[in-house]
Amino acid sequence: MAVMTEKTSNINSVSKFKANKNPDIIMKQKDDNCKCAVVKSEDFSFYYGDKTGVKNITMEIYPCSVTAIIGPSGCGKSTFLRSINRINDLVLNTSTSGKLIVDGHNVYSKNTNLVELRQRVGMVFQKPNPFPKSIFDNVVYGAKLKGIKNRSKLQQIAEESLKSAALWDEVKNDLRKSAFALSGGQQQRLCIARALATKPNILLMDEPCSALDPIATGKIEDLIDKLQTDYTIVIVTHNMQQAARVSERTAFFCLGELIEYDQTAKIFRNPGKKQTEDYVTGRFG
Amino acid sequence: MKFSFRYIQDKIFTGFATGAAGLLVVVLLLVLTPMVYRGTKAVVFQGTIEYRKMQLDVFGRGDIEVIATEKAKAQQVRDKLYAMIEGFKKGLDVDVLSGRAKNIYRNYGKEIRDKELASEEFRRRRELSRKIRNELMTAFSLSDKEQIKAHLDNVLGYKDNTDFEGTSAKDFFALAEEFSEIVENIDLKRRKEYANSLGEIEGAVLKLLGPLPGDAVPALVQDRYGCTRMDMAKVQIDRVLYSQRWVSQANNDSLVKVKISRVQQFAGTEMARLFDFVENNADAMLMPKSTFYWQYFIDDSTAGHYFGGVGHEIIGTLLLTIVAMLFAFPLGVISAAYLVECASDGPVTRIVRMCINSLAGVPSVVFGLFGLAFFVLYLLPLMGALSKGCVLTASLTLGVLTLPVMIRASEEAIRAVPKTYKEASLGLGATGLRTFVKVTLPAAMPGILTGVILSISRVAGETAPVLFTGAVALGPLPKSLFDPARTLSYGSYDIAVGDRLAMQVPHNQYGMVVTLVLLIIVLNTAAIFLRAKIFKKLKGL
Repeated sequence: MAVMTEKTSNINSVSKFKANKNPDIIMKQKDDNCKCAVVKSEDFSFYYGDKTGVKNITMEIYPCSVTAIIGPSGCGKSTFLRSINRINDLVLNTSTSGKLIVDGHNVYSKNTNLVELRQRVGMVFQKPNPFPKSIFDNVVYGAKLKGIKNRSKLQQIAEESLKSAALWDEVKNDLRKSAFALSGGQQQRLCIARALATKPNILLMDEPCSALDPIATGKIEDLIDKLQTDYTIVIVTHNMQQAARVSERTAFFCLGELIEYDQTAKIFRNPGKKQTEDYVTGRFG
Repeated sequence: MKFSFRYIQDKIFTGFATGAAGLLVVVLLLVLTPMVYRGTKAVVFQGTIEYRKMQLDVFGRGDIEVIATEKAKAQQVRDKLYAMIEGFKKGLDVDVLSGRAKNIYRNYGKEIRDKELASEEFRRRRELSRKIRNELMTAFSLSDKEQIKAHLDNVLGYKDNTDFEGTSAKDFFALAEEFSEIVENIDLKRRKEYANSLGEIEGAVLKLLGPLPGDAVPALVQDRYGCTRMDMAKVQIDRVLYSQRWVSQANNDSLVKVKISRVQQFAGTEMARLFDFVENNADAMLMPKSTFYWQYFIDDSTAGHYFGGVGHEIIGTLLLTIVAMLFAFPLGVISAAYLVECASDGPVTRIVRMCINSLAGVPSVVFGLFGLAFFVLYLLPLMGALSKGCVLTASLTLGVLTLPVMIRASEEAIRAVPKTYKEASLGLGATGLRTFVKVTLPAAMPGILTGVILSISRVAGETAPVLFTGAVALGPLPKSLFDPARTLSYGSYDIAVGDRLAMQVPHNQYGMVVTLVLLIIVLNTAAIFLRAKIFKKLKGL
């Protein structure tokens, strides 16, 4: 706890501590008007050849909320996240077992339409990775994939997405500029805007702030907070303070297994398992 | 101690590296400078009146009147030269002189037959004329001055014979007098030597000044004109002034060529004047002018590349290169895409990769024969076309030749595209193909263009692959892909292997090579600019 407050004070302007709120009340409010998808994992395992990525994960990610996944390096949190939109397919020689259900459909079933799945499950990566194109082209890339060619429609999508990614005011005058002309934080928000432009239900974030400075991190965190009303957000992070700040629920992974999954406040204040406690208090290892 | 050792080590390394780079530059200059110098002569040189005549006739350039005036002026000087040679030649040839004597005898015979003399009288006159003829011919064939004099005196003894009055027989005496004059001037013992030398001189003069104005126009264009360039004219003037002999050295060493001045050879004769005349009047006969022949790069050339430029060769080279790249570029990129994106790392892929790497090291002549066997002899008949080398087959052969380079460069470029681009695109729901076309390929384009640059340099300069598959030394511009084309590389090769062609048109050979280098530099510069532009765009500058 001491460590946590110390860290949060660095970014006073944006620090929020979700655990102060009453999660139950928030959940209830959202359930009424949320059309976001639910992600359910049933005894899901993922293997890289002989090596186990994650093992027997059973958890439910709640719609229209932020779920953080924490854990030491190599614990499989990224593997789990990347399984949700099957971007893991890029790695050769992998296998799975169990079920990973998005919107009632097992993504690892044979008849999964990957294109459709990935349009519904947007992803933001560790490092900002805009395409070497203009800002506008970056944002509308996904929309164009959907077959939208009308310029004014694309313009509208770009504006909407950039506005929801809180980037519009900064770039509205130079949409034609290269995305590389932006700063790191702006690039990451551009990547979020790009992911939002395909109108996903779920947003996966794989350590989205690990390459950013505290100010940019704060902006992204603000954005996550804003976005959770419309999207189911899963965020993998190494930064426990960040998890505490932005998430409603937190899952703790260790050595490919889900150790504990509960409301963030509980995980950080009163963890149920010794391992979790060791990790969140920094005694781990 | 340790520090100083490291310091020295460091300095030595730097020294070696700098030295190596310097050596490279020096070697490059050593190689390029003479080549460029000689190649430049194709464009900038001292053009003679013959050159301007040729330009007027063949390419229709130049002012007709100016050239006609120049021609007339030069001809005046030339005529003196021709007169000298003719004058000397008269007395030399036994056959010519004998022929003249025989002719006179024949004419006289006819004359007296027409007079319808009594047969006895006729026979007597005939007998006499034959005797004179034989005396003359003996005199011609002898080489001793005194003996010749005796024979000629015998002939001239009949000069006042009334039989011959008013007949053509007086030509006998004119001939005898002419010859006695020649005998005074020439050492007849060296008659054969003179004749040989004179033959050589005449040959050189013909090459130097072109055919005589009255002569029939030669069939070959290159024979219609003398030396068009002053540097080549100097070679011919040298031939006029000196004879060359192979002389054996002592100790059975190899033979050496020595130059012997003809002035000494002809010393004491009328001819001795000629050499000074040629030396002093070379400019008057040829009228050299500094010429900048920029049309070299657009002109067609006459057969054998004697005159004209390399316009057709440039077009042919460009055509072959472009068609070859149109073939190699997509195929190379697609193959590379397959190897990087689709193929799993199995034994088949490994074999394919090994084949590609081996192909890159195969000598180009092997590709040439492959092109001949497959494209020309097999594929063309299959397509229903005539089985002869053409632009298409040559380009395809060149394309195959450069495919390994293209594939390897593209493979490296595609592999170097950050994985995050691909992830981002796939994460947005793009298909693999779309990701490749829209994201990976544009990002890999600078690297692929590096492959294109390497390929262009190779393709444009290759000779062996096009040797059998569609390059020609002569011929019109190709009208379709099924016509053969002329290329710079094949042109210079053709001059090199042509019979003595390289000695006669060295400027053209070097000109072609330098043009080829320039062409490659231009093409590469264009590609480099394109690459820089794409790179800049990718970097967002």
